Amino acid sequence: MQALFDAFGLNLPLLLAQIVNFGIVLVALTYFLYKPINKVLTERQQKIAQGVEDAERAAKKLATADSVAASKVHEAEEEAEGIVVSAREEATSQKSRIVKEAEARAAQVAADAEARAKETAAKALRDSEKEVARLAVLAAEKILRHPEKAA
Amino acid sequence: MKGGIHVELKATVLGHFLGLPITNSLLMTWLVMAILILFAYFFSRNIKLVPGKLQAGIEMAIGGAYDYVAQTFESDELAKRFFPLIASIFLLVFVSNELEFFPGVGSIGFFQPGSGGVLTPLLRAPTADLNLTLALAFISFFTIEITGLATLGFFKYAGKYVNVTSPVGFAVGLIEFISNLGRLISFSFRLFGNIFAGEVMILVAGFFLPYVLPAPLMAFEMFIGLIQAIVFAMLTLFFIKLAIAEPHGSH
Repeated sequence: MQALFDAFGLNLPLLLAQIVNFGIVLVALTYFLYKPINKVLTERQQKIAQGVEDAERAAKKLATADSVAASKVHEAEEEAEGIVVSAREEATSQKSRIVKEAEARAAQVAADAEARAKETAAKALRDSEKEVARLAVLAAEKILRHPEKAA
Repeated sequence: MKGGIHVELKATVLGHFLGLPITNSLLMTWLVMAILILFAYFFSRNIKLVPGKLQAGIEMAIGGAYDYVAQTFESDELAKRFFPLIASIFLLVFVSNELEFFPGVGSIGFFQPGSGGVLTPLLRAPTADLNLTLALAFISFFTIEITGLATLGFFKYAGKYVNVTSPVGFAVGLIEFISNLGRLISFSFRLFGNIFAGEVMILVAGFFLPYVLPAPLMAFEMFIGLIQAIVFAMLTLFFIKLAIAEPHGSH
């Protein structure tokens, strides 16, 4: 057995030294390589999961925002339509009122003018009757004063 | 080419320090450790949430390996516990194997007095020394057995190997016991044999045709180095998985 060990250079202190060497490599690599890598991989995984979650949430928010915007636009359109309709109605009513008023005023003006014309005519008639009467009186007076001239 | 091909089955002792023989493969092990640990240290200081190319590549490799381990265990907790061990086995063996043919490894050395003109290399692939492969085999073996014991409990785990309900069951238990012990040998000699044989093959090829032939063989040996690192780590993973599985017939 010893001859076999000698042939391969087997030696207990050396064997133990190599076991210790491997132990050192194991501890050092665990501390410097495996743990940091595991940590950074986990960290990145979490970050990516967070990113995906955020993106999903943003997409959802965008969808709701879109629908809200659409409903708002729809509402606004309806409201605008209502405003136009009521404005048109008001305009029509205003128009008819204005036309009625204008007609009424026109009628009034026409009536006034007629009344004034009638009055003027009556006054003229009265004036002319008075004049005729006066001229008649003048003529009668003249005849009575100078009957010869009249004949 | 004085002395022809010189093949050394064991690592050469360069000197002693506090009773510990310092071999050229131990020196190389320290070099590999230094490379791994320094790289990991500077890497860990520059980790960012938004990775660069290097970080992305390493993250993909480590994360992918971790996912594979978790998938095999079907448990994240077990994967967390055993992944460092499996990954460290792979990295240590892999870097050792890949550095095997770097210029300077095996070629820079000195002449010891009385060696008869044979170069004593300063560096030797750690996995071409049975000490390291056996050390890893022991670590893997005890991890497997202790995990099995701790997970299943002593009697249930021992029941996998000592089964007196039937003669066939007894034989199967015995075979399983011996094959478990045999893992110590298969783990250590598989890795050692592959890497050492590669070195010898390159040496022989270099003896025939020193300028062209070794290059494709070196590329192939680097591939073998990757495969052997994967095999060692994966077998550890699968044996742990087997050890924590319920014994046959109890489900």
